[in-house]
Amino acid sequence: MASGANFLETLDVTKRFGGLTALDHVTYAVKEGEVRGIIGPNGAGKTTFFNVITGELKPTSGKIFLKGEDITDLSPHLICQKGLSRTFQLTLVFPEMTVYDSIWVGVNLRKRWPWNPVVSAHHILDVSQRTQEICELVGLTEKMNELAYNLSYGHQKVLEIAMALSTEPSVLLLDEPTQGVSPQETDNISKVIEKLSKNMTIILIEHSMDVVLRLCHVITVLSEGRVIAEGRPEEISKNEEVQRIYLGEVS
Amino acid sequence: MSMIFGKIVEKRPIVFYVAIVFLLLFLVMGVTLPKGARSLVIQMMIFSILGMGYDLSLGFTNQCSLGHSVFFGAGAYGVIFSIMYLKVGLLPSLSFSFVAGLVFAVITGVISVRLSEAYFVIVTAIFFAVFHLLAMDMTWLTGGDDGLSIQLPALSLGFGKLSLYDPLVNYYFVLAFLVLSYLILDRIVKSPMGKVFISIRESEKRVQFLGYNVFRYKLIAFILSGMFSALSGGLYALTLRYGSADFFSFHWSIMPVVWCLIGGLGTLVGPWIGAVIMSLFQYYVSAWWTYYLILFGIIILLILRISRKGILGYIISRRLT
Repeated sequence: MASGANFLETLDVTKRFGGLTALDHVTYAVKEGEVRGIIGPNGAGKTTFFNVITGELKPTSGKIFLKGEDITDLSPHLICQKGLSRTFQLTLVFPEMTVYDSIWVGVNLRKRWPWNPVVSAHHILDVSQRTQEICELVGLTEKMNELAYNLSYGHQKVLEIAMALSTEPSVLLLDEPTQGVSPQETDNISKVIEKLSKNMTIILIEHSMDVVLRLCHVITVLSEGRVIAEGRPEEISKNEEVQRIYLGEVS
Repeated sequence: MSMIFGKIVEKRPIVFYVAIVFLLLFLVMGVTLPKGARSLVIQMMIFSILGMGYDLSLGFTNQCSLGHSVFFGAGAYGVIFSIMYLKVGLLPSLSFSFVAGLVFAVITGVISVRLSEAYFVIVTAIFFAVFHLLAMDMTWLTGGDDGLSIQLPALSLGFGKLSLYDPLVNYYFVLAFLVLSYLILDRIVKSPMGKVFISIRESEKRVQFLGYNVFRYKLIAFILSGMFSALSGGLYALTLRYGSADFFSFHWSIMPVVWCLIGGLGTLVGPWIGAVIMSLFQYYVSAWWTYYLILFGIIILLILRISRKGILGYIISRRLT
């Protein structure tokens, strides 16, 4: 549970696309071991926020710190190597690779020679062992040899999480992991997230309030690029401004 | 372990068996074929190496280069210059072609690999144009269109000396390099680095967010691809005992694309099938119809209409379902 210094921190991050301000001076701090939720209406800047943290987009102004280290100007692969991993809202998997191989590639990153051109990939035992562990953890063991494009959308979402996990992150950013997925699979995915939350810090963008209220310790509400509320789930669900902007649309 | 890579284990043998069948055929044909047909097969084998090299670029990392004639030409001139000016033996001269491919691939790769797809195609095509023009104009160096002829040194092996002027020696010399290139490339493709190559083909962005420096891996693939293309060019120059600015022409950029498309991308052995079919076609059909390429274009379209992944891709997908 929440303890110690800030693990991931953004200071006054602003991102502008021409005249549009997607993120407006967002200051955000996550402590180690927390599960944080980010909610907000469409176009609130949630995914942009993830893109800025993970280095896909550079912020117009502001700083981002991971474990006290400035990661604002690093490129995405270096940020990932520092222990920050993400999933994508629209699944981005390797269509013509098997589930096993997709996860294998990520696990391989942490090994001594990820670029090794000589050894046969079959023969690296610690990598294949870890890959199997991850498959088991997320419940993809039976689908291990399926090509990714043959998977159902729900399973692709799980594969996304597994691939993000494969790089051994300390912070996991999940971008709408249950969007467009059947209720049963939603349940399965939230169980997986619950299991993961014991070992790592998780930030979750989610539209389904059930999932957010069930999993998150702290919820942040974004609207038009600004943080309009932050607090424990019960506080957020009672907050009047949040109800008006976000929850009000639902009920 | 076979369970884990279930699909792959199932998939690999077909490609492997096709390779074995081809190599055995090549092995037997060397002694059984008449002289004319034999030189045709030598060409096929040299083209297969070029096709495999190109496959590493287009089929494994999705870099559709139109600049591979630069490496082909560089390899050919690497061999010619090293024999003419440095008086080296045959095998060292081929290592010079390898190095020439490396140098040119590094120069062009560092500039072009960063670019996204369409821009990459255009910039590599520009490289082809620049180097082709240079080779044509610098007649004092390259001999221009007339080219340069070389006297081949003897091939000194441990047990004695052989001469490449003997077509049979030439044949098995090339075959040895085909086998060697295939073994090396197959090894690379199945290694951890090869897995990263394949995932880059599937989704560059995702690989980046798995913590890999995509640019570096694409550059390595491009350079390896260029080196094997150069080796092919070197072997071609040795076989013809001649090289000209024509080695830089667009023909050598576009042919590997065609071979890969016909045979199947991302299989290494696919381009062999493409090269064999194309060479047979060129040899026999061009004899009775000047515009045979029109016919060939239609055949390519038909093949790709039936299977987007070429002939070998079709066989693999049939086997899987």
